[in-house]
Amino acid sequence: MLRKCISLSLATVLTSGILIAGQAGAQEKAAAPAAPQAKPTVAKVCANCHQPQPGNLRANFDSVAYKTRSIQVKIDEATEILRFDDKLQLVNIQAPADAPDQPLRALKKGKEVRIEYTEKDGKKFMTLISAKPPIKIAPEKMVKTEDVEKLVALGPEKGKYMLIDARPLPRFQEGFIPTAVNIPFPAFEKMKDKLPADKATLIVYYCAGVT
Amino acid sequence: MSPDSARRAENLGYTNVKVYHDGVPEWVKRNYLILSTQFLKDAWIEKDIPHVLVDVRPAAEAEKGFIKGAVTVPVVEIEKAIAKFPPKDKKAPIMIYDQKGGDDAVKAAKALITAGYAPVDIVSGGFDGWKAAGFPVQTGKLATNIVYVPKPRPGEISIEDFTKIAMNTPADTLILDVRNRDEGNAGMIKGAKLVPDEEILDRFAEVPKDKKIVTHCSTGVRAEMAYHKLKEKGYNVQFLNAKVEINDKGEFKLEKP
Repeated sequence: MLRKCISLSLATVLTSGILIAGQAGAQEKAAAPAAPQAKPTVAKVCANCHQPQPGNLRANFDSVAYKTRSIQVKIDEATEILRFDDKLQLVNIQAPADAPDQPLRALKKGKEVRIEYTEKDGKKFMTLISAKPPIKIAPEKMVKTEDVEKLVALGPEKGKYMLIDARPLPRFQEGFIPTAVNIPFPAFEKMKDKLPADKATLIVYYCAGVT
Repeated sequence: MSPDSARRAENLGYTNVKVYHDGVPEWVKRNYLILSTQFLKDAWIEKDIPHVLVDVRPAAEAEKGFIKGAVTVPVVEIEKAIAKFPPKDKKAPIMIYDQKGGDDAVKAAKALITAGYAPVDIVSGGFDGWKAAGFPVQTGKLATNIVYVPKPRPGEISIEDFTKIAMNTPADTLILDVRNRDEGNAGMIKGAKLVPDEEILDRFAEVPKDKKIVTHCSTGVRAEMAYHKLKEKGYNVQFLNAKVEINDKGEFKLEKP
């Protein structure tokens, strides 16, 4: 069953690969002699934190075909196909137990990846792929209820802190920790100016625990 | 959401960023929350979300003017009155106000928290703040019986109905998982589709209009936000207001928040 699925997805990769290549060729012809439009290299979801870098893609993994040594990734609506070989460097990727020599099988569709590549004759060749690690907080950056209680008792002035509730407004409206201000995570960029001017100020973020 | 925010603040050059990861669920076990008068009106009274609003001033003072829906429990009687509150496992949100949002409200809140109630909110500014904001005031006798009847939020699907759909999703229904990709990668309900809440506005095209949509996340918060976005676009949608745990086999555990 599993085998069947894999070979099916292989077929999809192959056909879509050819299709995309065909389309790109047609577009180039139609657009000539104007320079081909630059394709985005960073998916929107990654652009929150990352800038484009030459030779790098930040994308969502779509599928891999070991038969043709190619990987398909999505950058929002656009699809990119890259080839690779045995020298491919892997970061944060462990081969699955049932396919020890095909480590990219461990990636799930949609996983955020950073890819380093070289380009020749319009074809991209992947030299490194790095899977986004889950966000983990270093223990020294964690504070406990007692710590927040002490701060709140002092108040933001004396305690020299800013307590930020990262939950969405409807939850903040239902009740918040005393002295907190609401900067929901999706609005981070828009509300940057609410952060303290002094970058050494203690900032404590909280939300609804395990969301 | 807080770890992501912390990381981005550090990217902006902030050097002393911490995360209170236990967050609100732990805080309310030992402490009260704050509710502004504006939020009390907008998020609870006007939306008709069930809660217990307690006026802790002396009854004679409260009768001269109080917030609609309040019950009277003068602070001097709070210890005695604890038995009148709804059972703790109902997790009724309790909001307390006094004249100015001062010591009486804190004292009453602490008595309830010590007795194991959560969440307990203090209305900042108290009755004076409410009145100063120009919000409606009632006079006369206050209710003395505490009544709390939980009811589903608009658009909420019951845990029982959701479970049925998740065990065997009908062809005309789609479960939309609105958690982020890391969470989705760790395990999803069979047949569910992952579209993180923050991406829904860009990805309506991927959500079928001809199906009934049921959203879920891990707490109910993002599921409800997604519900509103889809509702506005004319979808037939409901959301699951529950704590959700899913393992890598797609087995799930649901719990009332």
